Amino acid sequence: MKFVDEFRDAELGRALAGEILAQVQPGRHYKLMEVCGGHTHSIYKYGVDDLLPANVELVHGPGCPVCVIPMGRVDDGIAIAHRDGVIFTCFGDMMRVPGSNGSLLEAKAAGADIRMVYSPLDALRIAKQNPDREVVFFAIGFETTAPSTALTLKRARAERVANFSCMCSHVTIVPPLRALLESPDLRLDGFIGPGHVSTVVGARPFEFIPADYGRPVVIAGFEPLDILQAISMILRQLQEGRCEVENEYKRVVPYEGNLRALEVMAEVFELRPHFEWRGLGFISHSGLKLSEAYAELDAEQRFSVPGVRVADPKACQCGEVLKGVIKPWECKVFGTACTPERPIGTCMVSSEGACAAYYNFGRFAREREVV
Amino acid sequence: MSTPPTSDVACGSQHCITCGDVGDPSTVVAVDHDRELALCAGADGERSTVEIALVAPVVPGDVLLVHAGTAIARLEDQP
Repeated sequence: MKFVDEFRDAELGRALAGEILAQVQPGRHYKLMEVCGGHTHSIYKYGVDDLLPANVELVHGPGCPVCVIPMGRVDDGIAIAHRDGVIFTCFGDMMRVPGSNGSLLEAKAAGADIRMVYSPLDALRIAKQNPDREVVFFAIGFETTAPSTALTLKRARAERVANFSCMCSHVTIVPPLRALLESPDLRLDGFIGPGHVSTVVGARPFEFIPADYGRPVVIAGFEPLDILQAISMILRQLQEGRCEVENEYKRVVPYEGNLRALEVMAEVFELRPHFEWRGLGFISHSGLKLSEAYAELDAEQRFSVPGVRVADPKACQCGEVLKGVIKPWECKVFGTACTPERPIGTCMVSSEGACAAYYNFGRFAREREVV
Repeated sequence: MSTPPTSDVACGSQHCITCGDVGDPSTVVAVDHDRELALCAGADGERSTVEIALVAPVVPGDVLLVHAGTAIARLEDQP
């Protein structure tokens, strides 16, 4: 398919790998963070890391929306799902995220009417088909998914679908990046910027990274050549002493983002004062809730929820993985007590979680020859 | 160690639909302008209904980046 096949060309990949090899300084160790879980998945699916010199290390960032949902939010969702007459809808990945007393999938097995959907529109359709039931959509995701939820809520209001509501757990990408950059135990040389979030928000929101923290950012697509090209562009910036936001993914990402998407998000959502991130704690202005104008569609106002903060399981080191402090295989329970079939931590749930990506593609710590 | 089964049984694919890593490039087959919806075909030929309010107007043959049922961008030839 156009826009796909040409970005998986093996010969070009080898040429880019050669370029990268020529750009690195022997004796210097480069740590680059891919912010987005989609990149993590692609890197291990296509073996991109095997094409890199051993002194170029990829650190997995917090950009998997499933992985950052805290247990308390899952508990709140399950509490709503158990209400009489409720049909609770969510994306498939979310169903297996453990709460303090089981997952949505286990709640479904226990009798709650929980249904997987592929888009918020599917949830709205279920609401129209079941006018005598309350249909709740558990909305998660970064700025990529938030416009989809916003459009669905606008549609629900325009079509007067009174039995539809949304439990909003959308998050934004910039505040956790800033929190990470403020973290004293993190040393990074550059960022592979999130391609699809940037489709919506544009490149401008990432300018604080070079301006305030002196780190280059290259916004990248998700095909293997996109990622190799982005790594090469970051290394070139470092080599030339430049530090700026560059856009490798121009076929999709306009500098200003998608203005219509930003408008609809601004109408439907507003920032929460703070939001809890799994492993990262509370981060100010990092989560979205429904605006006053859409409050009637807010499931958290329509139903009471426990709203209790639940500490992460002690054995789980998702927080350190999300901050890039440890590699997935360095977690005490990786691949033993915590597997994709029975995850303890959220990073093992979604295929874009760093732990699941390592586990599924058989990546384990191993020595590589230092260039 | 043998490769274990994929983790996303519920999704039935190799990537998470929440984040939609590959963002599914999809080709427009037909457009319902009144409802701002389009019938699109993914790389595997599978067809789905896509919200196009954020990228309209579109015409059959356009390639859209579809994320959770909503087109968030139109793919353009890279300059």
